[in-house]
Amino acid sequence: MLIDPSIWPKMHGASVHFPVALAMAAALFDGLGFFWPVSSPRKVQLHSAGYFTIILGALGTFPAVLSGLFMTKGVVLGHDALLFHHLFVWPAFGLLVGLGVWRALVGDKVSFRGFTAYLVVLFLTAGLMGGAGYWGGELILNS
Amino acid sequence: MNTSIEVSALRSSLLAALLSLGGTGLAAIAIQALPGSILPPTYSEASLSETVVTPEMVAKGQEYYGMSCSHCHGDDATGDDDGPNLHDLRISNARIAVAIKKGIKDQMPTFAKKYNDAQIKALVSYLRTLR
Repeated sequence: MLIDPSIWPKMHGASVHFPVALAMAAALFDGLGFFWPVSSPRKVQLHSAGYFTIILGALGTFPAVLSGLFMTKGVVLGHDALLFHHLFVWPAFGLLVGLGVWRALVGDKVSFRGFTAYLVVLFLTAGLMGGAGYWGGELILNS
Repeated sequence: MNTSIEVSALRSSLLAALLSLGGTGLAAIAIQALPGSILPPTYSEASLSETVVTPEMVAKGQEYYGMSCSHCHGDDATGDDDGPNLHDLRISNARIAVAIKKGIKDQMPTFAKKYNDAQIKALVSYLRTLR
């Protein structure tokens, strides 16, 4: 056996927390930065932190998703708690990748309206990531 | 000026999201076709090997199921308003046994006083036959 099969659940457990935490941190940093006074240098710092956390979060989804697919032998929906987990995971995954790419391409050349829309979607994504994490926990503990 | 950059970035990000989701779907199909040796056993497969199961145990478990579980989980264990589907459970035998023994807070009562370990093992053996 070239690969120990038990590595996938371990890898999933080791990798899933990064995108969840980074998506939430990005929402927090950019949310705070959005309302911070324009005159303060802290505003730029917060947006800078938001910029890197969303990009790292988007990159972090790939090992999490792939290890999860290996762990479940390619199940994309499943049933019961696994189904609920996936109903949060897939939209969150697509949105997080999209947000990361958008933010990386736009950089600081962003309009007020564009950034407001970004922020709304970012909060939605952070919520979906939280839901995915919750149902992931339910899978382990209670199902 | 910023708007055109944003719109072009939006197109790219939508494309990236779609490619990621599409790629994941293809990866899932590819993973399903992989040899089982590099994939973990499903929880139910892993748990089946944990204990020797006899037809008598399964029959006893079915009897206990009828007495204590069917009114919440349904006669065929496919679930009811009060209890979930118990077919093809993706958790270990040990975890199922703990749930039966200790119950699940606000969801399921404890059966520790009603059934001993051997009886719970029989119940778990019966649940494993449900697919």
